[in-house]
Amino acid sequence: MRHTVFITGGTGMVGQDLLPKICFQEIVEKVIVLTHGNGALPAHQKIEAVRGDVRLPDLGLQHDVKQAVVRTVTTIIHGAAETSFASELSAAQAVNVGGTENIIRFAADCPRLQAFCHLSTVYVCGKRTGTIREADLEHNSGFVNAYEQSKYEAEQFVASQAHRLPTTVVRLSTILGRSRDGAVTKSGAIHYALRFFFHSLAPMVPGTKESLVDLIALDYAVESIALAALHQFTPGSTWHVSGGSDAFSLEQFLEETLQLFYKHRPAWRKRAIEKPAIVNLETFFLFVKSVEELGESVLKNSVAVLKSFAPQLAYPKLISDASTQLVMQRSGLARPAIRNFYPKVIRFLLENNWETTPQDQARL
Amino acid sequence: MNHGISAIEYVLPSRSLSLCELEDAGLLVSRAEQLQGFGFERCFISDESADDLALRAAAAVLSNSSISPESVDLLLYAGAIASSHHIAGERFLSNFNYPATKLQFELGLTRASVTGISQAGCMGLTYAVKFAGDFLRANPDAQCVLCVSADVLPKGVQREILYNVISDGACALIVTRNSPRNRVLAHRSVTKGYYWDCIARKNEILAAYFPTAKNLVQDLLSGAACAPEALRMVLPHNVSYRSWEILLDLIGVKKDQLFAANISRKGHVIAADNWINLKDAVTANLLNPGDKLLAFNFGFGANWAATLIEH
Repeated sequence: MRHTVFITGGTGMVGQDLLPKICFQEIVEKVIVLTHGNGALPAHQKIEAVRGDVRLPDLGLQHDVKQAVVRTVTTIIHGAAETSFASELSAAQAVNVGGTENIIRFAADCPRLQAFCHLSTVYVCGKRTGTIREADLEHNSGFVNAYEQSKYEAEQFVASQAHRLPTTVVRLSTILGRSRDGAVTKSGAIHYALRFFFHSLAPMVPGTKESLVDLIALDYAVESIALAALHQFTPGSTWHVSGGSDAFSLEQFLEETLQLFYKHRPAWRKRAIEKPAIVNLETFFLFVKSVEELGESVLKNSVAVLKSFAPQLAYPKLISDASTQLVMQRSGLARPAIRNFYPKVIRFLLENNWETTPQDQARL
Repeated sequence: MNHGISAIEYVLPSRSLSLCELEDAGLLVSRAEQLQGFGFERCFISDESADDLALRAAAAVLSNSSISPESVDLLLYAGAIASSHHIAGERFLSNFNYPATKLQFELGLTRASVTGISQAGCMGLTYAVKFAGDFLRANPDAQCVLCVSADVLPKGVQREILYNVISDGACALIVTRNSPRNRVLAHRSVTKGYYWDCIARKNEILAAYFPTAKNLVQDLLSGAACAPEALRMVLPHNVSYRSWEILLDLIGVKKDQLFAANISRKGHVIAADNWINLKDAVTANLLNPGDKLLAFNFGFGANWAATLIEH
């Protein structure tokens, strides 16, 4: 049987590379992409765009369009999300929870549906510490930001519908760039933080020296989603697409970054910029408060980015991908080693003066 | 050979203004309330010149320590701003009228070589202590160095620099070979030229301050095999108490180890803070012989310095 895949979030950082990947699958006949806003889609004969909005009932699709889609869809990959770490909770919930509720209702109307793949984040674990496993969800540890909380609530809703829909959840870690060439297609908080470090505007990060910095390659994320949604779909499963034990400690991460800056920008060395200090949360937020009171806009921007996600490092954890790796290994999918692709990403960012690749470079 | 600070005297102007008075006079950049939150209350403003304040402080330290002026081998005169390094006159040639030389004459330091430290910002007096030690080590016959700093901001200039409230003042130290007290055990300093432009690099300086300070202090303490908890007292430069709360955590020192009282009472007296604080801590009977003290300082010109002292 050949699949008709319905994708939301097709123009986002993951979506840009996921679309070509899905189109290349022989078992995929058609890819219907829900588009919202101005993001460009790659041209491909399998791709059909429908305009809508996950925040709206029936995803904002016109009745006849919706009927045409639900009749044919066999697989849904739900990636549309508000991914800004600085979002207000209500704004994050509107997209991430409301949008998930809407697409689950939509999925329930699809008579041929075989797989509903919900893209989530490993940070639904919020402020939990220790080893986080794929089977874990419920907790009351709290969250670092509204993004985490809203994705957690979305997962709870997906889990509540698992008895009547074939669902799987793919939790992605922080995506850095492509493993092959280090290309970054869209900047996220991690890239901004690295840029601030380079420009001597990142004085401290919360955490411990041993806190793990879990980063993954974009292509690994994309391959994993394709595997989870199409080739190895298992109802009720949860995947951790994470670095797992292959992660830098925070101390290693900062040192490695410094050495890469030295290597690729020898003249940068004479600036003698220090690595950010690793501090406890209380001190970090005292610094944040001070900067916010000072009103220095440049430093304020830097601190705003750092405070939106870096406090996660103060809750040390290992995002275990042990169960996921069993499936990956059976499927011949190897996780790129951080020590191999991180240097490529830093080189890319420096060579491109911290700019990302244009969206139209997504390859087909 | 060891060296140490055997005597300290300082002079502050008689006139001081509260934060509200400074705000009303348009002498602050930030709101008074905000600076109060950073630990400041007032600052001292001089009607005298920097060299007059310097003369009073230096005369006092010589007199109170019973040091004969003729026994001073070197006079090091530090000032953070250019106007502290000449005695202004109508004619261009007055740029060569140096207060250090005037001080030598007024005090009768007939044997003393004289020079100034003019490009180290608030670090001037700390560098003077360091250079005094280097001088004594290099000159076995030399016994005594007089270190003086003095700064008076131009009239009407704002009293707030990088969120710190600035006082005028002068401080004089006697650095002697085999000093009976305040022995300098170790010193570390670093200059980071990237931050030389304190206007263009203001944000970067604010950001670089903490990690650089942390690394410098940790390097000093580990090199001297001194645990942070073994410090009897940290002698701060009187920048905002908020920034000290952050830095103390970074270097693993408790808040009650910081001699913080003068931040609110005296403000940031340019290069003199650490040593004024040492003097006041001694006067208040807070120190015992053998106590370990950490003096940390930062100055424009992008200098960070930390000195470990045994009282």
